[in-house]
Amino acid sequence: MPQKPTLLIVDDETNVLFTLRLVLEEDGYEITTASSCAEALKLIHNSHRFDAILTDLRMEHEDIGLELAEAAAKLHPRPIIMIFTGYGSVENARGALGIQVDYFALKPLDLDDLKNALHRLLVSRGQIQRGRA
Amino acid sequence: MSAVARQRMALVVHPDLTMLSKYQALLAGAQFSTVVARDMPTALLAITQHYFEVAIISAQLGESGDGWPLAGVFHLVFPKSFVSVIVPGADLLNLQTAINNGVQEIFEEDRAPETVVSEILAAAARSTGAPPRNRSRLQ
Repeated sequence: MPQKPTLLIVDDETNVLFTLRLVLEEDGYEITTASSCAEALKLIHNSHRFDAILTDLRMEHEDIGLELAEAAAKLHPRPIIMIFTGYGSVENARGALGIQVDYFALKPLDLDDLKNALHRLLVSRGQIQRGRA
Repeated sequence: MSAVARQRMALVVHPDLTMLSKYQALLAGAQFSTVVARDMPTALLAITQHYFEVAIISAQLGESGDGWPLAGVFHLVFPKSFVSVIVPGADLLNLQTAINNGVQEIFEEDRAPETVVSEILAAAARSTGAPPRNRSRLQ
């Protein structure tokens, strides 16, 4: 039986974490959550391997999610990095492009778009088989 | 075993013939063999025929924004290659679209082609870990 793709979801809003966990677990992903950048950094540097990291930008302070994205981009293998934010700006989008994150979404999130993008990116990396939800 | 010497290829897609000509000349100076296209069907045909290491695509070909899906297709076909898009302005929407299509860099359309090509070559070299190869043939 193939292993479930593993996701780390990072947001300081409990409701967002709860909703994303609910929706993505239903789609067959194994979810770990973190409510701060610091907690997420500990997880990724503590031998936890994630296929994708989905993070908010503004948590402990403005645009700190970019620090997590930058740290994640240096991991081997590099996980898929998806950013979502309610405070999108040219500056933070430019930063995300510089780190070569894989997906950038503005809140309120369109969950179907997010799920489709996540699935497409995981399939293209070969982390899940084509056709599997 | 010896490496196969093959000229590096670039794809430039832009509706303006003058711009195509400028980019082609600049890339030729950096030892790239360049395929140019003014529309989406020609660009797609080129993508099926060659292995491109670099692409410069205008965000507006036939109509506003139709360069983006072409850039997305390029990224899917050549995930290790460098794709850049020429945009009217580097606003939030264009940056977001660039990220979501796997584009590595965007350039505003008023930037000089010389600057664009020079930055692309430097960035492409950084992303592949290879030094820029201006004026040097593949060994």
